[in-house]
Amino acid sequence: MAMPAARKMTSLESIYLVELFKGLALTMGHVVKNLFDQNRFVTIEYPDVRKTMAERYRGAHRLLLRPDGKVKCVACMCCPTICPAKCITIIAGEAPDDPAEKFPVEFDIDMLRCIFCGFCVEACPKDAIRMDTRIYEVNAYTRQALIHNKTYMVNLMDGIKPPAEEFYRLNPESAPAGFVSSPSASGAP
Amino acid sequence: MPKVKINDIEVEVPAGTNMIEAAAVAGVDIPHYCYHPNLSVAGNCRMCLVDIVGGRAPEIACNMQARDGLAIRTDTPAVKKMRQSVMEFMLVNHPLDCPICDQSGECRLQDYYMEHGDYDSRGVEEKVSKKKRQDIGDKIVLDAERCVECSRCVRFGDEVTGTGDLRLMNRGDHTEIGMFPGERLQHHYQGNLADICPVGALTNRDFRFQRRVWYLKQTASICSGCATGCNIQVCHQEGEVFRYLPRRNDAVNKSWMCDEGREQVAGISGLKRILRSRVDGKTVDTEAALIALAARLKSATHVGVVLGSQATNEANWALLQTVRKNLKSARIFVTAGNDPGSFEYADKLLVDTDKNPNSAGVDLLAAFDGQVESWEAFGSAVADLDLLLVLEDDVVGRLAGRRTAAAIAYLGVSRNATSEAGSIVVPVCHPVEMDGSYVNRQGRVQRIRRAVNAAGDALPAWLIVDRLGAKLGVAPGTGMVAAAFNSMARAVPQMRGLEFKTLSEAGQQLIVETAPVAPTEATV
Repeated sequence: MAMPAARKMTSLESIYLVELFKGLALTMGHVVKNLFDQNRFVTIEYPDVRKTMAERYRGAHRLLLRPDGKVKCVACMCCPTICPAKCITIIAGEAPDDPAEKFPVEFDIDMLRCIFCGFCVEACPKDAIRMDTRIYEVNAYTRQALIHNKTYMVNLMDGIKPPAEEFYRLNPESAPAGFVSSPSASGAP
Repeated sequence: MPKVKINDIEVEVPAGTNMIEAAAVAGVDIPHYCYHPNLSVAGNCRMCLVDIVGGRAPEIACNMQARDGLAIRTDTPAVKKMRQSVMEFMLVNHPLDCPICDQSGECRLQDYYMEHGDYDSRGVEEKVSKKKRQDIGDKIVLDAERCVECSRCVRFGDEVTGTGDLRLMNRGDHTEIGMFPGERLQHHYQGNLADICPVGALTNRDFRFQRRVWYLKQTASICSGCATGCNIQVCHQEGEVFRYLPRRNDAVNKSWMCDEGREQVAGISGLKRILRSRVDGKTVDTEAALIALAARLKSATHVGVVLGSQATNEANWALLQTVRKNLKSARIFVTAGNDPGSFEYADKLLVDTDKNPNSAGVDLLAAFDGQVESWEAFGSAVADLDLLLVLEDDVVGRLAGRRTAAAIAYLGVSRNATSEAGSIVVPVCHPVEMDGSYVNRQGRVQRIRRAVNAAGDALPAWLIVDRLGAKLGVAPGTGMVAAAFNSMARAVPQMRGLEFKTLSEAGQQLIVETAPVAPTEATV
């Protein structure tokens, strides 16, 4: 591969000190500005303060339910097929009384492998999986806990499961559309 | 032979060849649903309509026999429009079941829609709904809605099994496939119905929701269920075998195989597999077991060896060579008959009474050796033997309680009476885990191929025997499967000229029909 030719420095740049002071001036400019107007801080005091994530932000996956309370997913295997990180594991089973016939006995996403590309959402023919939770704090103390299973992903928006969801509960205006904050959930740690 | 032209490509085909096959020779694919090479022509799907050059109207290629000067075109706008219209007509009442349908990925409707359909839906009316998930047999689930009424399954029942069980019923868009009231499929070839169904109407119960077909890799091999030696594709993913599919070979099994053959998939990773070597009840590694076995073979006075008609030609050849080169006084026997506990059914179509895949191959080697003794001789001699070395054969089970040898060494795949009685047991690869060859009942040499990795410590039998030979003194030189086969083909007159590498997918009929079982009393 051909490397691009290095840009030649101008004579002012090659003196170095001029550029150094320009940089210091920029920093000092921010310091002075922040001293007098603290509302224009670029940084926020995370985790006490959080940004409102964009509507289309791809967060942790959730599984959607049909009106009758069963998962929409029929284990068609489109998402594990398209997944470039091969992080989705589905074991299909037969539902004897369900007209959908097929359902996922197990539906695991290894969040350590997931690259949040959103292909699974695109590939789903049943609108069974979405990444509209805007949950970006996918963290846990063990690796095992980072393999999100079916129950976890179904209940993700109930506000019980992820501890970091407290903020959405306290600030409903920045919570995603499907977020339900039930009274019992709001008291949970 | 008549010369025909398909899209200006001229090919010469045997008289009577239909134009779908002729086009395939020319490299042109003519889409079809109802036509099947091993069934009669029905001509009801209309997907194979083609234009005849200079002809008045389009005709179906499946029912058009090659004749001199016949020229057809499959690339005219009219043909494209016809295919699109046929697709639209078939899909007008087809449910959107693809996410839950097992046929997805190998479905003609999906494939041909992408290739020839590709239209925007004009459907405004409700689809006709029919009964889904019908239980019509032990192996088959019927979904009447998905059916495109190609009648392949009807013809299969009429022409192949002769049971005539499935029928097309009602008229118009209410036509559906079904059984007579209160009846279920009874024959032993139900799995083929799922194979020949071009859509997802008939699906396999054992494979139902097990795995998506696009994940499965296929390895061409041979069914080890009986002496017929049906050609199969082993479908597997990540070291696990999910199903056997018949592979077309008109000389052996056409496009069919039996349900019992398919059921063998369960035995590959089953609980009965022998996974570790064992010496006197203690688990050891295979090397230690072979050292112990070699020592005992050397010290024993009366040694008997049983060739295995379950094992490959290579394994039997290796065993024959090892014993003849190292153990001059050992007696070699062949077995006859079935494994007790194997499925007892047999018919004239495919299922043979002999449940061993390589009986003919063992007979061939026994005839070549000349000194191999029969099962009857074995029955009278076995009680006097100090040590009996058995290759993949349930000898103890066959003896059915009669007195057996003082000690038994067993090289085998699964646990059985012989492995329980064996003081030395060495695990052998299942046929899907190794390369090799079988000779079927017609005297046809056919290759098996390794599809998945061996379970546990299992090794191919030819390799185990080769290592055993090295410990006994002279190795038979069968450490590679090709070397084992080639040395056998050089020695055995019926196999002369064969080479492992060049053995074709369809197998090779041996020059002479299978030899009779070796002379019995003369050598005892």
